[in-house]
Amino acid sequence: MAIADAVNTAIIGKGLMIGGGFIGPGIGIGLIGGNYLQAVGRNPEAAKFLGQALIFVAIVELFGLLAFASIFIVK
Amino acid sequence: MIAGFARTFADSGPTVHVAPAQVFQLGHYSITNSILYGWVCAVVLIVLFSWIARKVTVKPKGGFVQIVEIGVDFITNTVEGAFDDKKVARRYVPFFVTLFFFILFNNWLGLLPIVGEGFQGHSGAPLLRPFTGDLNGTFAMGVLTMLLVYGASIKESGGLLKYLRHFFVGSPKNPMFFAIGLLEMFTDLTRVISLSLRLFLNITIGEIVIAVFSYLGHVAAPVTALPFTLLEFLVAALQAYIFVILSVMYLAIAVNHSASHPESDDLTEDDVPETMVAQTTATGGSVRG
Repeated sequence: MAIADAVNTAIIGKGLMIGGGFIGPGIGIGLIGGNYLQAVGRNPEAAKFLGQALIFVAIVELFGLLAFASIFIVK
Repeated sequence: MIAGFARTFADSGPTVHVAPAQVFQLGHYSITNSILYGWVCAVVLIVLFSWIARKVTVKPKGGFVQIVEIGVDFITNTVEGAFDDKKVARRYVPFFVTLFFFILFNNWLGLLPIVGEGFQGHSGAPLLRPFTGDLNGTFAMGVLTMLLVYGASIKESGGLLKYLRHFFVGSPKNPMFFAIGLLEMFTDLTRVISLSLRLFLNITIGEIVIAVFSYLGHVAAPVTALPFTLLEFLVAALQAYIFVILSVMYLAIAVNHSASHPESDDLTEDDVPETMVAQTTATGGSVRG
């Protein structure tokens, strides 16, 4: 019996997709937040750039959401 | 009791819709639930804001009117800060303020319990769906915004050829610069897709996450779904702000660039911007010192 008959490979694929897809944005958002806090720590004047940091969070987050959206294509 | 509890998690899972469903047909056009809710939100927005426009006074009296005023002021300052010339910025403020409040209203009213799976029509499909949780809606918004950005950029730079000239760093006759310019143009076109996909995915996935957690909570659904609803409340405001500020930036880059180069001059090697020259000399000096 082929392995595809015994195991529901779609579920495993979805799990891998979500897990793998969120690694990158997780690291990215961590780097953005960490660097923002570092900038504020060195120069408290930089605290006003939170809005601009959030834009980059949104750009990075899109790639994670694309991975999440792709699980609906897998049947 | 335990068997019943286990059976709850064993069945197929929460009902989740990614695409909108048709509610009724108007001529040849099928009216989906997201369009229906978009109309509802638009009517609410128009009525509420024309009422507020009559209530605004020079000395603020507080209340709901002032909250809206803060939002309008915030977007106005954002747009004016992005442009070099405040007079040019003033022309585009109304569009962006409208866009911000339309997205914000759709996102926030989309979190109401009557919107989504909880409130179904006679066909079994949800009767209402947030307009921003529909790719057709956000794609239309993205296309409209980018059309305005392109139109305004062409107008501000004074002609289509002068606008296209900004994509090329050096002389377009150089095949290398020509290829880079074409690549830049293509990158510009992907902005429509990234703008619309970001908004759509954030709102739809928020709806799905709320649906999943209220399903997992079963009887205690209000308790388990509450934190995620509050999170979506924040995300909705953030996404409205991000949609606006990104489109403002796309517009401001093109307009500011054409303002700083009034004539379509050829940038050659000896025509390096002054800041770059200053930077190179500064680093050179530090290395030597």
